[in-house]
Amino acid sequence: MEHLINIVLLGLLMLAGFAIVRTKSLLAVAMLTSIYSLLSASLFVVLDAVDVALTEAAIGAGISTILMLAAIALTSDEEKAPRHTPLLPLFVVIATGAALIYGTLDMPRFGDPAAPAHRHVAPTYLQDTPTAIGIPNVVTSVLASYRSYDTLGEVTVIFTAGTGVLALLGFRPRRRNTEDTGRKKLVILRVVAKLFFPLILLFALYVLFHGDYGPGGGFQAGVIFATGFILYALAFGLSNSQQLIPHQLLYVMAAAGVLIYGLVGIASMLLGGKFLEYQVLANDPVTGQHVGILLIETGVAITVAAVVLIIYYGFVSRRPAPGDI
Amino acid sequence: MYIVVSVVILISITMGLVRAYRGPTLYDRVMAANMIGTLTVLMVSVLGFLTGRPEFLDIALVYVLISFVSTIAVLRVSANRYGTARDDATGSAQE
Repeated sequence: MEHLINIVLLGLLMLAGFAIVRTKSLLAVAMLTSIYSLLSASLFVVLDAVDVALTEAAIGAGISTILMLAAIALTSDEEKAPRHTPLLPLFVVIATGAALIYGTLDMPRFGDPAAPAHRHVAPTYLQDTPTAIGIPNVVTSVLASYRSYDTLGEVTVIFTAGTGVLALLGFRPRRRNTEDTGRKKLVILRVVAKLFFPLILLFALYVLFHGDYGPGGGFQAGVIFATGFILYALAFGLSNSQQLIPHQLLYVMAAAGVLIYGLVGIASMLLGGKFLEYQVLANDPVTGQHVGILLIETGVAITVAAVVLIIYYGFVSRRPAPGDI
Repeated sequence: MYIVVSVVILISITMGLVRAYRGPTLYDRVMAANMIGTLTVLMVSVLGFLTGRPEFLDIALVYVLISFVSTIAVLRVSANRYGTARDDATGSAQE
């Protein structure tokens, strides 16, 4: 049965991909990409990749569509006709696709327990997580403890991306009261936003602190936080959301998250362990792991939320006329 | 039982996808995308119970909370650009 759902979902993904290519209106393309990500998140759920599904749900359904729309709002919403013939790119794509399909022939069967990926370090992680780290979600233990260097690298990449967007787009503060003057009629949107804003933030905290036990963690929580603030900005305008969370604060937050992560590593070195060896953070090694994971997940969430909002502010503040997104 | 429900949801998603592609207006597409969002919430919940993993409901909750934000964003962009909501926006909404 699950195979049937897999096949149908993959087919729908293909259809959505073709629809995206063939559609010329970019607003419609933005809608179709959000549908694409909804479908792929369902696929991840069927494949039992719950953490990935949560990430796709948080990023694909919300942030990436919103950022795409923010870019469209600055340019045109019609796709320009290509100035070159698509033959050479088509050939390259077909050749690459054929090579990839040829490559899959040597891959182990889907879900094969004897596949090399499942025999290298995965058994150790699965076996040791309950005793050494003491949390039920193995994904979090791998991401935040066994592979914490990787995650530090990823957070740094996100921080760098935020810095890069900031260098390219910057932030253009608007004079106050140039917007929101005739907006009194967005009543429904504002009421709904007021209702949902605290719920979204609460759920982000839940995802952050519950990441040890269920799907979730710092990355997803950060994105959900940012989505809450973006909803606020959509309903109440950029200058109001600036008062709620000013862009200078975001710069500090983006750096502070990475700093927290690094400081946890240095603290564990000062306490006699290795860099990011959480066992030494508390008297009991398992408690130390808990403390370390929670601290670095918090750092990740702060950086991710700040960077997503920096990118959003960067796009939206460039709109010359009143009106957001 | 759950299987029948998943099949029905998949059929509905397919119909929504067709509507999102064919349009003809932006609002058809917005409605279709929104409907697929709702159906995905249902799909994820049903899958959770189908496979005996009710913690999938967390993902469904994330969708409920944030999938409508992108719909609002689309409508704000189109309102700012085409002025279909010019009563709501400032006078210079029609650019």
